[in-house]
Amino acid sequence: MPDPNFGEHVDLSTFSQILEMDDEDHDFSKPLVDNFFEQAEETFVQMDHALSAQDLERLSSLGHFLKGSSATLGFSLIRDSCQVIQQYGSHLNVDGSREEDAAVCLGKIREALTDVKVHTAELKEKMNEFFELE
Amino acid sequence: MQLPSPADSGDASPLPPPLDGNLLIDLSPLPTMVLSPSCCITRVSNRFLDSWAVTREDCVGQQLLSFIDRQLHPAGSAAILYISATIDAAVAARAERTTKQITTINATSWRARVLPIFNGAELLATVLEWQEGSAPLIEEEIVRPGLSTDEAFRILVQAVKDYAIFLLDTSGHIASWNRGAELLKGYRREEIIGKHFSVFYGTDDLAVRKPELELEICLREGRVEDEGWRYKKDGTRFWANVIITAVYKDGVHVGFGKVTRDLTERKTSESRLIAAYEESEKLKSDFLANMSHEIRTPMHGMLSACSLLLDTALTDRQKDIVYIMDESGQVLLQVINDILDYSKLASGSFSITSDIVGITSVITSVVRSVQTTMRSPVHFELFLAPELPKSVQGDPLRYRQIVHNLVNNAGKFTERGHIRIQASVQSEDEDSYVVLTEVTDTGIGIPDAGSANLFTPFTQFDATTTKRFKGTGLGLSIAKSLAELMGGRIGYRPNPERQGSIFWFTARFKKIKSLEQINAWKNNYSRGEDVHQLALGSPSPELVAELGRAASTKSLLLAEDNIINQKVMIGMLRSIGFKNVALAANGAEAVKMVRGKPAAYDMVLMDINMPILDGHKASVQIREAGIRVPIVAMTAYALKGDKERCLEHGMDDYIPKPVQKQYLIKVLCQWLLTEKDYR
Repeated sequence: MPDPNFGEHVDLSTFSQILEMDDEDHDFSKPLVDNFFEQAEETFVQMDHALSAQDLERLSSLGHFLKGSSATLGFSLIRDSCQVIQQYGSHLNVDGSREEDAAVCLGKIREALTDVKVHTAELKEKMNEFFELE
Repeated sequence: MQLPSPADSGDASPLPPPLDGNLLIDLSPLPTMVLSPSCCITRVSNRFLDSWAVTREDCVGQQLLSFIDRQLHPAGSAAILYISATIDAAVAARAERTTKQITTINATSWRARVLPIFNGAELLATVLEWQEGSAPLIEEEIVRPGLSTDEAFRILVQAVKDYAIFLLDTSGHIASWNRGAELLKGYRREEIIGKHFSVFYGTDDLAVRKPELELEICLREGRVEDEGWRYKKDGTRFWANVIITAVYKDGVHVGFGKVTRDLTERKTSESRLIAAYEESEKLKSDFLANMSHEIRTPMHGMLSACSLLLDTALTDRQKDIVYIMDESGQVLLQVINDILDYSKLASGSFSITSDIVGITSVITSVVRSVQTTMRSPVHFELFLAPELPKSVQGDPLRYRQIVHNLVNNAGKFTERGHIRIQASVQSEDEDSYVVLTEVTDTGIGIPDAGSANLFTPFTQFDATTTKRFKGTGLGLSIAKSLAELMGGRIGYRPNPERQGSIFWFTARFKKIKSLEQINAWKNNYSRGEDVHQLALGSPSPELVAELGRAASTKSLLLAEDNIINQKVMIGMLRSIGFKNVALAANGAEAVKMVRGKPAAYDMVLMDINMPILDGHKASVQIREAGIRVPIVAMTAYALKGDKERCLEHGMDDYIPKPVQKQYLIKVLCQWLLTEKDYR
């Protein structure tokens, strides 16, 4: 049973599936998690660019993209922030209603992007701890 | 006045005073009339007044001819002229003359003896003595019998122009010919008399001996009636109604009587009427269609421009104004569509097309589109019954129209709470389903007074808030007509749980026989459409073991754009036993690989959201190439019914993301072990 220290960051049942695929010494899951954080950093850079260009469509598809991989690994908080970015990038509030005001959308995305970077940094630390301890 | 007797007068007594000539007239035993030289009636006898049943005022002082004219029967008869002519003749000859008979309105006949009174050369007066005539005699002895002679009937028949009436002898040769026959058949009397009547029939009828048969039947039954083609002298044909009667005289069969009517005119005028009607209907609907196209095109232009404008940098005030333009345009477009639909429905020229309907995908798509236009915090719920058929035969556009109308209305009138859409199979028979669709909301509801007229056109129950709740008032009535056209009904009841409404409708859909196989598969597949539900029970260990053994021989294609997901999937598949897993980074690559090696893969695992070509489109392209490899979709969509949408695009199954291993195993077992190889 993985370290419950992850708190809300990780959905344990999903993440444990990943761990189950390890043969020994986390030979599968560790590189995968590292790979994910790389992907996340690259995506954040692209999101920053898109944000200053006010390109909502691009922001939405980037959000969707990172949401996919974070969901696969069970990284819930990151996934949730990406969902917010995806929604507002498509002029949608989180409840599905339409948000026409681009400025509002961009504002929400900016917030979510800040959040997700924070979540990612936190989780990266926790993951490093986890893999070092194991 | 007493005349003195001759014995009384010895010597030459004076002559008695002359008789009053007027008295002579008045008291005459004959109906007498005195005319001035200008034929004005100056005096009439009492007898005249009695027998003519008139008063002195009616005649004295009147012109003779005017008076007579008023008394004549029949009115306007030329008898006046006779009387006038006789009087002239009498005056010219200075001798008596007698007029011809005239008949008066009290049904009496009169002749007048005309006596011109001359004094020297001067005509003093004309005296008319009237005598009752012997007209009845003429009537009884000549006129009536004359009418019953054969000659009279012959003249009658001869004169008829609209019907061919003629006689045949006992062997069918033509014995008489009337004007109508001439006109209708084109033969003159001289050229047709003596010919056999079969000359009017066409070759088909002659081949079956129709003319002879008709005469035989006629002799047996006394009469025969027939409709068919007959031919004129010039070879043209007409549609005839023919009646033949057997004619007997003194018990002996002497021939046949035939009456032929031309019905072609009636038929052609019928079909002309119908054609004219249809043409006017077509013109009307063409006009409507053209007009609506003419209106819709600039409407769309305007709406596109509005939405482009909204994408530019605008001040808040400008934005508000553009929203108003956009919204108004949307409403206007809806009004035009409603008008067109309504008029088509009203004229009965609306047709329901037959196509494939994906009930669940229509509903989910409608919900999505309504959701995006709503600003209030209302949430949507979908309850799609498990036994709903995946695809049925019906009109998807019209089904969608009704669902959209109801869901949109719910959205308009609901500020908080939820809108729930339920679809279920109400009844089923051998070749059709009746599907019940219900839209429940927690909105403002409908007052009792308004519920009676909900589906009547142009009634919106709350007239005071028409500005808030935009619409034509046609939507529900169109929905009603459409539902009825689809063999169903529509209705409303109040939400029993809390304030709000339930709008429901039924529609009949035909079953698609060719999908029986898929339905059979569906029965094998686990029930329950909850996409968040994990695999219902794990597959048996035996099956899992078998899968593990089979896996090494199987070749899979994984289409997934996110490298993390790729790695996880490959890891999972490898742990099950799969060694040959090919990778495609987007839909286009996947299509290329499958089409490049059509029989290479046992299964394709297809992500939906991929760049360049998404999973749905890629599946369609693979199917279009005739390749029936099992395709399993992997998608993170949350709404129920997405599975159905995948299936409609040609995919065979669907796994929700993030992928759960047990679920994956179940699907792999299904498609690799239990299903027959597609090759």
